[in-house]
Amino acid sequence: MQVNFGGREIAIKLVYYGPALSGKTTNLRSLHQLTAEQSRGRLMTLETKDDRTLFFDMLPVTFKSESPNGTGMTLRLKVFTVPGQVLHASTRRLVLQGADGVAFIADSQTSETEHNAASFLDLRQNLKELGVNTKQLPLVIQYNKRDLDKIRTDDELVALARRGREPVFKAAAVSGMGVLETFFALLHITWTRLDTEHNLHKMIGVASNQFVPMAARQLGVRADLGKLLSACVGGDLNRHTQVPE
Amino acid sequence: MTTDAPHVAVDDLILAERVRIEDLVDREGLEELCRTFHALFGIPVRIYSTEGAMLADAAREQELCAYVNTTNEGRNACAATVGAVKSREPGHSGDVVHPCFTGAVYRIIALEYDGHRVGRLIVGPFLPSSLNEAPPTLFKVDPALSKEKAQPLLLKMPRAKSDTVTRIASHLKGTLDLILFSGHKAHVTSKMHLASVRESFRQLEEKTARLQEAFDRLRELDRLKSNFLATVSHELRTPLTSIIGYSEMLSEGLGGELRPEQLEFVKTIHDKGEQLLSLIMGLLDLSKLESGTMRMSVRQVRLENVLREVVSTLTPTARKKAVVLELDAADELSELRGDPERLRQIFLNLVENAIKFTPAAGSVTLRARMVEDDGGDGDGDDGGLAVLAPMRARLEVRVLDTGIGIAPREREKVFDPFYQVDSSSTREYGGTGLGLSIVKRLVEAHGGRIRIEDNTPKGTVFVVSFPQAPPPAERAS
Repeated sequence: MQVNFGGREIAIKLVYYGPALSGKTTNLRSLHQLTAEQSRGRLMTLETKDDRTLFFDMLPVTFKSESPNGTGMTLRLKVFTVPGQVLHASTRRLVLQGADGVAFIADSQTSETEHNAASFLDLRQNLKELGVNTKQLPLVIQYNKRDLDKIRTDDELVALARRGREPVFKAAAVSGMGVLETFFALLHITWTRLDTEHNLHKMIGVASNQFVPMAARQLGVRADLGKLLSACVGGDLNRHTQVPE
Repeated sequence: MTTDAPHVAVDDLILAERVRIEDLVDREGLEELCRTFHALFGIPVRIYSTEGAMLADAAREQELCAYVNTTNEGRNACAATVGAVKSREPGHSGDVVHPCFTGAVYRIIALEYDGHRVGRLIVGPFLPSSLNEAPPTLFKVDPALSKEKAQPLLLKMPRAKSDTVTRIASHLKGTLDLILFSGHKAHVTSKMHLASVRESFRQLEEKTARLQEAFDRLRELDRLKSNFLATVSHELRTPLTSIIGYSEMLSEGLGGELRPEQLEFVKTIHDKGEQLLSLIMGLLDLSKLESGTMRMSVRQVRLENVLREVVSTLTPTARKKAVVLELDAADELSELRGDPERLRQIFLNLVENAIKFTPAAGSVTLRARMVEDDGGDGDGDDGGLAVLAPMRARLEVRVLDTGIGIAPREREKVFDPFYQVDSSSTREYGGTGLGLSIVKRLVEAHGGRIRIEDNTPKGTVFVVSFPQAPPPAERAS
């Protein structure tokens, strides 16, 4: 997070991580389509000819806090994806640097189980090298590609989700299913963590529990936020309410 | 943060970076863009950065303005208006109208990128569509200005409806936004690329440093091992000398007459003692060569003498195996600098080996020649001789046999200590496996090279080459 008091701006960095071809860029494309034009900028994709992400994709989302006393601050969310291919290791670490929250996009296909695991270990290793523990980092997990065959069953996912702390969502990013759910869950836990640590709600003059609904409103998302978040199949959405020791 | 953290902060590149038009867009291109708008709509267009620097200008002076500028008062008023337009902020709405005393107007429109103001677009002067007559404000500036002259010039000014200007401006803004986005994307890509390369380089450097450290440590261990070997070999040799000496004395009857059986036993003790001693001496040589403590008495040597001696020493051995041993030395061999004893050791070993691995009725030949030094390692790469030819010639000795041969992939390994092509050969031919590794190190200690080639149709050639001794004058210096 970067705070610019003079410019009355807060920049928050969210990163979509995951194995190659798990649908990180597709998530961003869908998010871009599902949000209102006035709040989001152009989707910047840096990719090679074969549609593989080269450095990262970036979707800027900007909105003003609707504070009653006119001291509104501009909130800039920058949503990044990392390149999934193994060879781009150093780029991945560079993009991950300074992330306030991470969405891990896993591939639901049973054949991809090992790649998911390898990518998560890679995430953990990179975070470790950046001095961050996965325990402290706001993290949501998305099992993407629910629309394909030969995938892990819903029951399996529920069982898996129960084993971990991180909120788990199902998605088919191509059709937009689960994209907003994942995004707002990530925003929710990232905001909770940053607010708990830095008292952000005082800075921007919005009640803690009103931040995410406000973001949703300004992004033109009409869906019921509670409903979106309740799509979580396991894990703890409120685990960042305690100040970390 | 750990020391492994990247040294490049990409956040600074992307998260909070303020985009500046002048960094992203080619000035001339921007100017061209404005000129095409001017050509298309006839209305002057200028682009300013947030700091107020003019980035592009597509405006010709209007005839009315030129006329106004003919008087002092007019010039001052014009300058004041232009100054005000330049510095006027487009307000909260990002779009304001600034009037000129001539009745024309300017539109000042904010340029935005990614939610930040990055500059201003100034459109004008142009006439509002409703204006048909020069306003009184024009003549208030300087009563000397004539209405008759001003009126026709005023009507020559470009005229535009407010919403037309809005549409034109929005199109220009959209175009500019796209250009900025593309420029920004390229900018970010190149920065990211650099950062990635730097990061990869840093990682590589770290790894290289770690490897170097490990390498240094291993080299030190290797040196310690050689020292240890030298010490132990020396300590082993002392008691062994006594064993050999006393067993020899016994066998010579100095301790009294021995029965034939006892004599045989004592001779076995003596032989095995000698064998053990040569192994230990070999080890000692090897460790001395490895630790660089081998003492050599270097002088001018005629290699053919050494070779002749080797052949005469080994002729009985060859004859015993029915192998022909020949020496074929060219007449004009030059001298080389070396230790004759060590050189003898090299060729004794090679020839002995060759005889050992050559079956009956075979032959072993020692061939010595002067060859041109191609600076290579005998890998067949003889390019660049035009440059390399002036280098000194080399003395080359080939030891050719018609034996069992050595497969290409074994050729490097046979010089490793204790290596034999297969363990069955040790049993069949004997030997400690130290010989060739000592030979190689001795050759290298003389600045020479050794390699193995095929002897068609059958057998092996050991090619040993030494640099020829420098001419006397050079030696003196």
